[in-house]
Amino acid sequence: MKKLLRYRMVQRLGWICVLLLVWQGAVWSGRVSPLLLPAPRQVLVTFLDRLFYGELAAQIGFSLAIILRGTGIALVVSLGIALLSLYSKVFASLADTLCALAHPLPAIALLPLIIIWFGVGYPAVTAIIVHSTLWPLFLNLTAGLRATPRVYVECGKSLCSSPLWLLGHVYLPASISSFLAGMKIGWARAWRALISAEMIFGAVASSGGVGWFLFQNRVMMDTAGLFSGIFAVALIGMLVEELLVLAEQKTVVRWGMSAPQ
Amino acid sequence: MQKLISALCVLLLLAGCAGRKEQSITVAQQYGTAYAPIAVMRELALLEQELPDSVTVKWVQLANTAAIRESMLGGETDFACMAIPPFLIGRDAGMEWQICSGVSRVPMGLTTSDPTLTSLADITPDMRIALPQPGSIQHILLAMAASRELGEARRFDDQLVTLSHPDGMNALLSGGEVSLHFTTSPYLQQEQQAGMTLLLDGEEAMGQPYTGIVAVAGQSLYHENPKVYQAFLKALEEAIRWIQENPQEAAQLLAPLYGMEPDALLQEMTAPGAAYTTEVAGVEAFERFMLEEGYLKADHSLDTLLFSEAVR
Repeated sequence: MKKLLRYRMVQRLGWICVLLLVWQGAVWSGRVSPLLLPAPRQVLVTFLDRLFYGELAAQIGFSLAIILRGTGIALVVSLGIALLSLYSKVFASLADTLCALAHPLPAIALLPLIIIWFGVGYPAVTAIIVHSTLWPLFLNLTAGLRATPRVYVECGKSLCSSPLWLLGHVYLPASISSFLAGMKIGWARAWRALISAEMIFGAVASSGGVGWFLFQNRVMMDTAGLFSGIFAVALIGMLVEELLVLAEQKTVVRWGMSAPQ
Repeated sequence: MQKLISALCVLLLLAGCAGRKEQSITVAQQYGTAYAPIAVMRELALLEQELPDSVTVKWVQLANTAAIRESMLGGETDFACMAIPPFLIGRDAGMEWQICSGVSRVPMGLTTSDPTLTSLADITPDMRIALPQPGSIQHILLAMAASRELGEARRFDDQLVTLSHPDGMNALLSGGEVSLHFTTSPYLQQEQQAGMTLLLDGEEAMGQPYTGIVAVAGQSLYHENPKVYQAFLKALEEAIRWIQENPQEAAQLLAPLYGMEPDALLQEMTAPGAAYTTEVAGVEAFERFMLEEGYLKADHSLDTLLFSEAVR
């Protein structure tokens, strides 16, 4: 038992089974309306049906593609800001103030402004995702860059004087652990922001994304469909996080910069 | 320590099972002059007068119909006000509720920022249409018009953008990809004043007059608590009669609630197409259309949709 508990996935699956049993028990008790809590089997059937015969698969792909684009932009911009602040004190204080102002602002609070400035299509959703991921990424990147040990920097400088070389061979590898931490937070925030944005905007393209799927099922009162949408969202969230953990194990854990989880 | 934590968890779980003890009833509505009779009921304490003192009345305002439906499903709300199509979707999904009365008729319509559009047929696939949500009365009216004029009810379903009325108006006026907005009073008039053209009127889309907002109650309340049900009906009738007889006073009373000048409010409440009446119109037509086009799964007779007291 103790041996098994070492594996995170085994633990997770175990708990999920327990929760499923509780859920099934609640349905069997017959005291809960199926409009509030549909049976697990019905949710599974609906989920598979929407995935293979409905639009769910395409909608998941759409959501992931738009997140990838938004996060990509946020990554480039935050890297740029973080590097500039590394070399310029004035820029660093500006970036710091901007971040302090914008970081606590939920994207949804900016929604009315975003609609006026960007409309309701791709640019608006991209703006929401960039806003949600940019600041946590920037914060973590600067923390990592600033924490680069002085010795490494001096050593690097004596090997080669080019700032670009220094960046690629000293600063970035040294801050990869905070970078990955930033990616984790950034991803979680982007995913949430996208789902909320889609639930408010509706379909950006003709089919829309997972958030739109959720919203459609909500307004049409299809509770089983709503549940399958929620599972899709949770499942993808979990999978991407696993990917990031894997990236951590392949890099920082292997290089001895961080302890394995 | 571990035992303590587990015990706390169990306690927390059990705490959720405790029921409501005090007798209270909750009325849910949305924002806008279409709900003026409910606001009058509240301001003049009409419902409280009809009920014994032991019963307290709570008034809640929710952002959209789906939220109202969910609160009713969770047993948090006893009476709710909404448009007919969202009510039908809930009834079709198995919610045990029926219409008890009409509340109001409000002007609705599809406006556009593109003056070259003259009919639905001119709308191209890249134009986006803002409306509150799929399954809303605006969506069904649009589908009805599309079905009649173009023979294809779902023609515009892929072009919808879900935006609340004020956000939709902003999107339309800011001139982005939203070039049409299916909305209701007062946004409808504000958009027209800002230079938008009215492409389609709500009654034109429906082909007959219809009730914009109805009051809905659960079947269990109707059967188990007839006194409360009758009290609500009486108070609503009283509120509607009071507005009909004293429109100026009603505008005075409600102006601060809506943050408007009394004159502007009076104009909106008495605009052509606006009316406060208990009569329920259009349920059958909505039901038939939504069934034919697959927005509903089963056929429901009028007797299972309206309580016998409702004025048809």
